[in-house]
Amino acid sequence: MNHHIPDAAPPTGGSPAGRRTSILILDDEPIVCKRLKPFFQKAGYEVEAFGRPAEALDRVRERRFDVVITDLKMPGMDGLAFLGQVKTQHPDTNVIVITGFATLETARESFRNGVFDFVAKPFKLPAILDAVKRIEKERGLVP
Amino acid sequence: MPFSVLFKKFKSILERNNAILELMGDMGDKLGGEYIYDRQYLFETCERLGDQVFKLISDLSLLCQRKNVALFTAFERIQFRIREEMAGRRTLSRPDHILPLAELTHDLADEGGNKMAGLGDIRNILGFDVPEGFVITAGAYFEVIGQAGLRRDAAQSAVFPGEAEADLAVMSARLQEAILRVPIPKRLARAIEKAARETAGKDGLLAVRSSAWGEDGESSFAGMYESVLGVPPGEILDAYRRVLSSLFAEQALRHRAHHGPSGEEPAMAVGVMRMVDARTSGGLYTYAPLRDQDRAMVVSAAWGLGKPIVEGTAETDTYLLDREPPYELLSSDIAAKTTRMALVPSGGTDIREVPDAEQAVPCLTPDQIAVLARTAMALERFFKRPLDVEWAFTGDDALVVLQARPLAIQPREPSRRPDAAQAARDAPVLLSGQGVAAMGGVASGPVHLVKQREDLSDFPYGAILVAMHSSPRYARVMPRCRGIITDIGSATGHMATIARELRVPTLVGVGNATRTLTEGREITLDADHGVIYDGMVEALCRFELVRKDVFEESWEYRTLKRVLKHITPLTLLDPKADSFSPEFCTTFHDIARYVHQRAVNKLISLSETHPELKGNASRRLVTRLPLGLAVIDVDGGISPDASAEAAEEDLLCHPLKALLEGLNASGMWETRPVAVGMGSFLSSLTRTLSAEQAHPRRMGRNLAVISKEYLNLHLRLGYHFTVVDAFVGGPVNDNVIYFRFMGGVTDLARRSRRAGLVATILEHFDFMVELKGDMVTGRLKQHPTQAMLDAMFMLGGLIGYTRQLDAMLDSDGAGKRHVETFLHRIAHAGRNKK
Repeated sequence: MNHHIPDAAPPTGGSPAGRRTSILILDDEPIVCKRLKPFFQKAGYEVEAFGRPAEALDRVRERRFDVVITDLKMPGMDGLAFLGQVKTQHPDTNVIVITGFATLETARESFRNGVFDFVAKPFKLPAILDAVKRIEKERGLVP
Repeated sequence: MPFSVLFKKFKSILERNNAILELMGDMGDKLGGEYIYDRQYLFETCERLGDQVFKLISDLSLLCQRKNVALFTAFERIQFRIREEMAGRRTLSRPDHILPLAELTHDLADEGGNKMAGLGDIRNILGFDVPEGFVITAGAYFEVIGQAGLRRDAAQSAVFPGEAEADLAVMSARLQEAILRVPIPKRLARAIEKAARETAGKDGLLAVRSSAWGEDGESSFAGMYESVLGVPPGEILDAYRRVLSSLFAEQALRHRAHHGPSGEEPAMAVGVMRMVDARTSGGLYTYAPLRDQDRAMVVSAAWGLGKPIVEGTAETDTYLLDREPPYELLSSDIAAKTTRMALVPSGGTDIREVPDAEQAVPCLTPDQIAVLARTAMALERFFKRPLDVEWAFTGDDALVVLQARPLAIQPREPSRRPDAAQAARDAPVLLSGQGVAAMGGVASGPVHLVKQREDLSDFPYGAILVAMHSSPRYARVMPRCRGIITDIGSATGHMATIARELRVPTLVGVGNATRTLTEGREITLDADHGVIYDGMVEALCRFELVRKDVFEESWEYRTLKRVLKHITPLTLLDPKADSFSPEFCTTFHDIARYVHQRAVNKLISLSETHPELKGNASRRLVTRLPLGLAVIDVDGGISPDASAEAAEEDLLCHPLKALLEGLNASGMWETRPVAVGMGSFLSSLTRTLSAEQAHPRRMGRNLAVISKEYLNLHLRLGYHFTVVDAFVGGPVNDNVIYFRFMGGVTDLARRSRRAGLVATILEHFDFMVELKGDMVTGRLKQHPTQAMLDAMFMLGGLIGYTRQLDAMLDSDGAGKRHVETFLHRIAHAGRNKK
């Protein structure tokens, strides 16, 4: 039952130089934003959360995020379309898809679109933190 | 029908039964702090569960070749309730719309309003004194205004942004006037008056308080709605109307227009409580909104009733206290208190002179201040927010909590986030990345290591409990402890459930906390992140306290809790009782249990009578102990050479062999007479046990269905009913043991004591344990085969050891001693040590 985060460390969002890793969260279920935002903030990340794809898209056009965490199925805009837009604007932004409708097909499609990771809902908080940490590591954002 | 087909159905029932239990456990897990889930999860899981239960009943229909109409009806009934809960409709069990405070918790916030639901939590979960009383529900409000034809107007009043201020005044006047004259439906009026008389008792007066939807939430301010104090029970209906009408006061309309969530219909539940004849009363902010006093709480107090203090019209004593135990007094400012508000026995209140000699005397003693501080901090930890607490001390010095509402403060908002992360980064980490959050949150305090034999009555106030194993017995110190950390334990265990109920941040399964954390060391536990810091990380605690959304108050959390009430409780306990029937199934668990029992009975009778099988399918197992066990081998569980009377040596089934070994080798089967004077009721037991040679049908139907790796065991020893379902010996991930224990011939107290003891022992061996009354279920999963077989051995010992034990459990102390004896004996009888 014990569950270990690989190379677990205290919450350490961001580089030693002081710039914090920025995360955008998009999910139309308010509970997801409400819980993920303080969780990542407490871990030292710079976080913005959105419930509507259009608003998130506006924000992405204004600035670049290191990591985008997006739901797949939302009214208004498909998560895949959103991630396409993100990638067009900022090819180096890493995207993590979270979804309650995980099928092999959607997973495949997501990866084809350059998704870094795919997390099925419901998920454990340490699992998503771990996904973000792997991005940081891969991109040299953390030592 | 061929036996193989019927047996397949039986197996499918067992599998489905396990799948249902799994799903239920999975849903229970989601009440912990670890998971992110959403609406979609709730809908999907409820559907899946419903589907499984439906198919389970269908399987039984096939096995028994019956229609099971009553069972399907029970299913429909439960399914309907779950769907209603999911749709946000409460099936109203109270047509009179009266809800006693004793039955109110946050789960009923929609009926009782936030304020009264909070008071219900304070009374019913945290156990503090609040005034006696009841709530006239939001449902009653809808009935009243509905019958008066005002519902549309009332709802309309919430959706008029941009409308002229003058129109607001007109609308307010019209609605208020109408409500002050509104006729209260007869049945409701009678129910309110009756409850009011009962609450007031002889000569008592009532406080009638608003508890509107959204009141005391983020978008409301204190004092927006009316409270009427000192109401004689005969005038309750007018007071009720007055409070209802305040929902449409002009300032309330304006406030909702500016702040309210657009379009949400307003509703007003009303709390009615017995007036507390306060000697001293006042308010307390757990977090002083003062610039340089970020770590203080502030108390205002005056003689008499508290209304003038809340309204700010009275001279009050002011005390500043440290927020950390022992809540040192930082400063006190004693005012000259010339007047006090008092109750007028005939009704209402008045203002009286305070005698000269009392005016300059502090109105709180150091002891009272200490009690107040502890209570307030306990409330703050529970509600996870800074609070504004209204309180009173009665003439006999009892503290009564009158109200607790969130305090809208944001200490240094712009800088607090980086603060918390920075502080977390700078603080030395003692442990991280281990364990499961059974309850999320942040807590700080000194470590108190709890040893196995420790008497908890000396548990230090405000400490963090650190122990090797989680245990339900920690429940009694939870109100005193700030957090819990255990080396071993599960998020679905009994202790975790209580910790969630009391919202104590809890991290279980950490592995080496008892070795790493030393007694008395100041630590900060961040259960959400699974990190334990050295020292007190103040910024992290503050971050936790001022966050906007408390998970336990979210729709998802509350709905899951509500839905689970129709799913997990087991009310169908005794298979011999008349109530063991489909009509009495009130939860999915009940249905599963009923079907399981019926299926087992059916299989036994089939194995005895089925023409295909007669003679060789069911074998009697000859053991050294009088188990009266029939064995049905499905696949390689018994030597092909075995006769109808199989010996233990013929068994090839790994889990059963290990279990029997535990029963035999550990010397746990108690054969001595239990106790002098117990003979009369134990005779029935003895009779059952001595019937060793009897036909299984009269033996209480003890049956083991086995294969090489699989065991499904139903063991009824006297009045003790044990089920073991185990698969051991395949891939590690398939290894699973399910153990259920219930019953007993003694009174419920002793039976529950034994259940507690069994639970403690199971938790000791890493089982995920659930305890309900005298029933214990334990599950162990995915351990290596050797460890699983050791667990089977232990279970064998446990079955033997606890067989007649309830009769001896005449005190809690006895239960504790027997846990130790058992652990000692089983350790010495261990499989590996032989």
